[in-house]
Amino acid sequence: MIRNLFLICVALLLTALSIYTLGSRKPRADFTYVNPSGIHTLDPSRMSWTQDFRVALNIWEGLTTWHPETLEPIEGAALFPPDISSDGLTYVFTIRDDTRWSNGDRVTSRDFLRGWRRGLEPGTATDYTFLLADNIAGADEYVRWRREAVGELVAMKRLCDGWSINARQARTIAQSRVFKELQARVGDTLRAPEAEAEEWRWESWIQGIAPRVDWENLYDRMFQKHVSELRSRFDDVGIVTRDDQTLVVRLAQPCPYFLDLIALPIFLPCHESIELLRERYRGTLITAEGLVVYDPQWTKPDYHRNNYPGLVTNGPYRLSDWTFKRRARLTVNPHHRTAKTITCRTVDMMVYDNISASIMAYEAGDVDFLPAMDVPYDHEIARLAQTGERKDFHLCHVLATYFLNFNCVSESVDGRPNPFVDPRIRRAFALAIDRERIVEKVLKRGDRVARSFVPPDTISGYQPPTGLVMDVDRARGLLAEAGYPEGVGLPAIELLYTPSDERVCQAMGRMWEDALGVRVELRSKESKTFAEDKASHRYMIARGNWYADYNDPMTFLDCLSTGNGNNDSGYVNPRYDAMLAEASVIRDPVKRAALLRQAEAIIVEEDLPILPILHYAAPIAIKPYVSDLYANSRLWFPFRYVTVER
Amino acid sequence: MIRLIVRRLLLGVVTIGCIYALTFVMVISLPGNPFQQGLHNIPPEAEMALRARYNMDNNWLYFTEFLAGAVRLDFGPTFTYNDWTCNQIIASALPVSLLIGLLAILIAVMVGVPIGVLSAVKRGSWFDVTSLTFVLLGISLPTFVTGSAMLIVCSVCLRIAPVGGWGTLAHLPLPALALSLPFVAYIARLTRTGMLDALGSDFVRTALAKGASRRTVVWRHALKVAFLPVLSFLGPASAQAMTGSFVVEKVFGVPGIGQHFVNAALNRDAGLIMSTVLVFSTLLVAFNLVVDVLYAWIDPRISEAV
Repeated sequence: MIRNLFLICVALLLTALSIYTLGSRKPRADFTYVNPSGIHTLDPSRMSWTQDFRVALNIWEGLTTWHPETLEPIEGAALFPPDISSDGLTYVFTIRDDTRWSNGDRVTSRDFLRGWRRGLEPGTATDYTFLLADNIAGADEYVRWRREAVGELVAMKRLCDGWSINARQARTIAQSRVFKELQARVGDTLRAPEAEAEEWRWESWIQGIAPRVDWENLYDRMFQKHVSELRSRFDDVGIVTRDDQTLVVRLAQPCPYFLDLIALPIFLPCHESIELLRERYRGTLITAEGLVVYDPQWTKPDYHRNNYPGLVTNGPYRLSDWTFKRRARLTVNPHHRTAKTITCRTVDMMVYDNISASIMAYEAGDVDFLPAMDVPYDHEIARLAQTGERKDFHLCHVLATYFLNFNCVSESVDGRPNPFVDPRIRRAFALAIDRERIVEKVLKRGDRVARSFVPPDTISGYQPPTGLVMDVDRARGLLAEAGYPEGVGLPAIELLYTPSDERVCQAMGRMWEDALGVRVELRSKESKTFAEDKASHRYMIARGNWYADYNDPMTFLDCLSTGNGNNDSGYVNPRYDAMLAEASVIRDPVKRAALLRQAEAIIVEEDLPILPILHYAAPIAIKPYVSDLYANSRLWFPFRYVTVER
Repeated sequence: MIRLIVRRLLLGVVTIGCIYALTFVMVISLPGNPFQQGLHNIPPEAEMALRARYNMDNNWLYFTEFLAGAVRLDFGPTFTYNDWTCNQIIASALPVSLLIGLLAILIAVMVGVPIGVLSAVKRGSWFDVTSLTFVLLGISLPTFVTGSAMLIVCSVCLRIAPVGGWGTLAHLPLPALALSLPFVAYIARLTRTGMLDALGSDFVRTALAKGASRRTVVWRHALKVAFLPVLSFLGPASAQAMTGSFVVEKVFGVPGIGQHFVNAALNRDAGLIMSTVLVFSTLLVAFNLVVDVLYAWIDPRISEAV
């Protein structure tokens, strides 16, 4: 009896689980593609992965978008081209009459303002704030002001609630205006330690004064002051809605690639319904920490808290169904102006964590398009694509560079002297590398050899300098000149990388050992630890890579300017900075390109803060019955043009 | 019996508490920035604000707030998959793993026990030797080998099953089978050893002497004793099978919870790490409790002992 009962229970459980997890079967979409790791986020302001961009740019539409084949900026939600002032600083965009959200609402300039403003807010935690801050007049000042204020509010809020704060927060408090006013009133008893004092001094200082200060009062004053200034401060940012249809953008300096830039997700509009999900504090539009925060679930099509209608987008497609790490279905947005011309009415994005499995699914005919095929046997796939044995395999020469960073700042690393502060040694190490061997013998993936930071023949109007060609004798000479003949006296050289770089880094270590007589220590670290070591300059040589954000040499060259958040080499060269600054105000494209080329020559021929190795080739697979989908350098695949004739 | 259950429950709560505390200490001492998404380094002020927002600027506050949330079954946000909460991820992934795991354990018991019994009864025969070889293979061959082989044979060559993924009943058998193999092997071995012991013991000889048929003695009398070690293995085995296997999920593209264990740690996703660990430890404690109760029920001497 009990045994039977047990069996019945198990059977019931199995059935229930099957029904719950398997769900109902949907008919196959017109077009199916694979996104190997799934969507990280669909919040356009927060995303930074190509595969997320791909979904976002199919369901939203910016002021401009890119041509599927040439990648030139073309008309998006606004009339193209916009009115540009003669000094190149003011852009006036007119939103098209027939641009509609997926719920039928008209797309207005305010929707763009909302989207762009989110990109500036510290609470959005976007990787791309700099694209707005660097280009739009007043945006940088606004971002700085907001970040500072948020830091102060966070620290004070903690103290109000009776929690301890760390040294960095204590420093923030000491520098805040309200605290300085208080200090001025009560005198020396609140005096803070020197700014450079050790952490424990700051911690004990704040612990000492915490009970003597009315933090509630300070916090309230600061919060109110900040709220009252929010509007006027944002008015100073060069994004203005002249009327429902007109968006006026003032730039900080001319930006010849601005129309290309604004096709990126961080410049997408945002429907007003998101305001239903805004977090508020004391009736204001910000949280107690001073952040602008929306319920992160606003990107779900079936999310309805607070009468939220679910995700509303303005692109050729809308998101009709999204299950975590399984599938996303896009269906045509019936209100989009091109809706009638779109032949793929439904698109399925499938998730296969295992890329080999996705290739098998492609071979079995379950999938029409694979935008990523980075598998352990990618050299074989590259071979099939290059020899033409598989006409449906293509190589995309991506606008991206794989390189090594030299640590140009730290005098010592792990107690060892860091020889790479001397540019001659960096040059010597660069001259000793046989890139052809790496590309053709080690990786064999069809990548292109890189001697410049910017990939050649991809950005129109720009040809990078030739860079350094392998020359072992010259490398040895430079090493001797720097005081290390035959590598004698050099400490063991540490090469830091992640496990996926094993083969390349082993090969390079060997090349240096053979050519220069140095000892190379290979240090493979898990990616997050690696990233932290690198960002804090705890390395001698580390592998690096960069994917272009926009179609201009600046997207690469800017990474090495002084103080740039992505300048992991810690490279400082005022001459280089000055050249970039000068180029940013030159309006003549030929002169500008020449100057940028000179600047790049400093990087790849003289100073070598980085050592370019290769420009990536990414294999993709498109079924022969799919047309109007193009292999391109930005892995940009708009589905609205695609036709499928099975 | 009730005393046993209550004691075990209390002990379970303490165990889970300790696991949580240990995990927490490990999570906060992990190097790396959980908020960094792509290639760009995140500005320090923005990182600070986010840390504050998730209470991560104060360890004690984070510890208590997360625990308070977990008690209410609200595990908070994830940092890697910003648009989803830990609860949604677990609700989407755990049932998948439960289903596959339950199937795997059922297969393991239904296949492993008879193999064990038969090889013990026919000790030294060709069946015993073959099954021992199979057991050895099952234990030593990693699932990514058996799984990939099954995928190539069944899906690519024979086309009798879909190539990985999830969504229909046809997606179930292969991963469940691949996951069950090591368990089948273990259970067969445990049953065989237990059975050999039992068949040599006095009560079996008595039963046979009293004229009970060999079949009844083997399957009724001896198996009941021989099954005890299998039963104690089933507790942790079920928990292990049902909380997902990273390898099987990866090979077959099954959206279970195992991948989140591994990925959350790689991504420094503190909330997801702690919630998956809590779910796993709760399941482990629960299955062990069930096994202990069953044990006491099958063999009443146990409950008196504890």
